[in-house]
Amino acid sequence: MHSEKFSQLDPVIHSQIRLAALSILMSVKSADFNYLKKTVGTTDGNLSIHLSKLEESGYISVKKSFKGKKPLTTCSLTEKGKDAFMKYLRGLEDYLHFEKK
Amino acid sequence: MNEVETKQELQLIREMIERTRQATTRAWNYLFFWGILIILAIAGMYILVFVKKYHWIWVNWLAFVVIGIAYSIFYVQKQEQGQGVRTYAQINVAHLSIACSVGFITMGLVFPLLGLYPYGVIPVLMSIMAGILFFVLGGIYEWNLLKLCAAIWWLGAFGMILLPPEYRSLVFIPLIIVGYFVPGFILRSKYQKS
Repeated sequence: MHSEKFSQLDPVIHSQIRLAALSILMSVKSADFNYLKKTVGTTDGNLSIHLSKLEESGYISVKKSFKGKKPLTTCSLTEKGKDAFMKYLRGLEDYLHFEKK
Repeated sequence: MNEVETKQELQLIREMIERTRQATTRAWNYLFFWGILIILAIAGMYILVFVKKYHWIWVNWLAFVVIGIAYSIFYVQKQEQGQGVRTYAQINVAHLSIACSVGFITMGLVFPLLGLYPYGVIPVLMSIMAGILFFVLGGIYEWNLLKLCAAIWWLGAFGMILLPPEYRSLVFIPLIIVGYFVPGFILRSKYQKS
């Protein structure tokens, strides 16, 4: 039964950094790379890999631009990402309810 | 996946959302700037009344409104660049600020200059408008204290009616202190502690 519940959780979101990044993007319209890095508490390379995975899955959109002469990467959640996050959250809650029973 | 891991994940979600919320709700400097600006504008108005330069009163208000709007634009741009995040609350507050600015300018400057109503009505309308602004801000930021501020401003509007028109603007000063600065300081200290 545990494995059934576990399989319901989206493997793309089931990672600390990706989950943290999605949680932030869920509550804002957009966030830049540095903000995500600072809030999640990770390194450039690590976050970059995880954001790429989220982008490949269509969960976030990544826009690259310039702020002055510095490159600026802005991320925002897509509709698909919102749905996936909510489904993941429900999955976690279901799991907890199941454990209590 | 076990219960502890599940709870940790939920805790992580809550923590990330709370960190983002805290980082984007500290707009104290901006709120205090507007409060001080309004007090200065009122002081300027009474000085002009005292020296009997009545026709300069609207210029006084217009100057402060222009300063306020210029600072708001500068502040919003700086805040967005500094924070690296754009929240739905910020978008809603920006829309509300624009809508209320239009209300303040038309009701406080344009309509009285067109002679639609006497100048004594302006402070009453401004208080009603300020109450609307605070009430909606309270809803956006989920701060009940701001909704209480709205009630204070609305009560102030009724209180003004009881006074002679030339003294109504003075009610703004206690209103700004009680319905603006005090809640602002309380909320700021609350967030600093948390």
